[in-house]
Amino acid sequence: MTISTASFRGTRAGLVFALLLASLAAVAQADEGSAEARAVVASTSEQVLEILRRKESPTDQRLGELQQIAYQRFDFPTIGRLVLARGWGQLSPAQQAEFLDDFKRHLSLDYGRRIDAYTDQKVEVLSDRSEANGDATVRTQVHGANSGLVAVDYRLRKVDGQWRVIDVIVEGVSLVSSYRSQFQEIMSSGGPTRVLQVLREKNSRAPISASAG
Amino acid sequence: MRVGIVRTLRIGLFACLVAGASWQAPARAEDAGASTSTPVADPWEAFNRPVFAFNEVLDRWLLEPVATGYDFVVPDFVQGSIDRFFDNIRVPIDTVNALLQGKPRDAGIAVGRFVVNSTVGFAGFFDPAREELGLEPVREDFGQTLGVWGLGSGPFLVLPVLGPTTPRDAVGLGVDSALAVYPWFVPAAALYSSRGTALVNGRSLLLDQVADSRKSALDYYVFVRNAYLQYRTALVEDRKTTEKQRTEGSEDDDLYRILPGY
Repeated sequence: MTISTASFRGTRAGLVFALLLASLAAVAQADEGSAEARAVVASTSEQVLEILRRKESPTDQRLGELQQIAYQRFDFPTIGRLVLARGWGQLSPAQQAEFLDDFKRHLSLDYGRRIDAYTDQKVEVLSDRSEANGDATVRTQVHGANSGLVAVDYRLRKVDGQWRVIDVIVEGVSLVSSYRSQFQEIMSSGGPTRVLQVLREKNSRAPISASAG
Repeated sequence: MRVGIVRTLRIGLFACLVAGASWQAPARAEDAGASTSTPVADPWEAFNRPVFAFNEVLDRWLLEPVATGYDFVVPDFVQGSIDRFFDNIRVPIDTVNALLQGKPRDAGIAVGRFVVNSTVGFAGFFDPAREELGLEPVREDFGQTLGVWGLGSGPFLVLPVLGPTTPRDAVGLGVDSALAVYPWFVPAAALYSSRGTALVNGRSLLLDQVADSRKSALDYYVFVRNAYLQYRTALVEDRKTTEKQRTEGSEDDDLYRILPGY
């Protein structure tokens, strides 16, 4: 129409172009891998929040759905090895299998317990970066109604073409490190049998449906 | 009064430097997940465990029940307001420590938040600075400041009543309480009741988290030790890494390495 509109359009086109360039540069810098990992975290967060919000569905059903997502998105065999560190080699293959199974259950009970404490939260994915060993770290922020901002970082590893979470770091506190130090303590005082025993006791004391609420 | 602050700072610093020379922060790197070959460095465990057990009894029989009753009676938004009120009067601590850590911008934000929240926010019971202006709370303490200055934390330490800490953070707590300013202007009775309120209110906001942690931890003492040391390390590291960007530390590499042969 008028010259001013045209020039406005021109500037806008220039701006869009500049933004495009900038974002391309950012992608090239950020690495495809960590961007993929970021997408995994973003979509998983959405799925989880959707389930949490659906308060009208029975708790047990929602717990089941959450567990399924966790089994898909978390690399439990890797997490199990990492938390036992050197202790892993002290377990027989049968004990290793038992450990992975019980530890997986322990973690999902742990998360499941909090399902009804959920009050309207939002997850914002902040950034992603590639680590020296090929892992990716995705930083997020959880906005809670009364809890303020909570920093939650995820560390992911690509195994068999799939990015899976191998650690969750809440306000700087890593889950892997937390369990590693606890298992180390139990391992040094009671060995592999004690480790398995403690896990079994924990799991039997917290039946999944009774713990909710 | 200024002389008082300076003197406290000096004494605190001196204590830290003397102590720091001898202990070199073995606990920090260890429990932040690092080396797996050596046992966890907790040289004071024999002292810590019984004190930790004592604090647990104190909490389970006194503080937790009181906080539970309080939580039942007092509505959530009041609990939030009281929490914000006590956060708001922390401003001298946050500001001075932000400055000491070389973060004048954060110090400015702390002061700005105080001005806004003390007036428009009804003496700090509300947080319009965050909700309307997007100014996130600035939370700094002298233990962090010492860490940013390069002082190691020292071994994990559990104090009666005060709970988990390290020598560095214990000294920091002493310095911060001298920086708090308001206790000097408040009569003793009011001070104790305000401290009591802050304690019970703060505990009432953590009822679920603490109960969950007690349930899920395999060894609750080790869980608390690890969480405390990791959390404090992260607070100090973040300050350092904003300047020189994050570079991967050896700690992380070790934490996430699957050992060969297993």
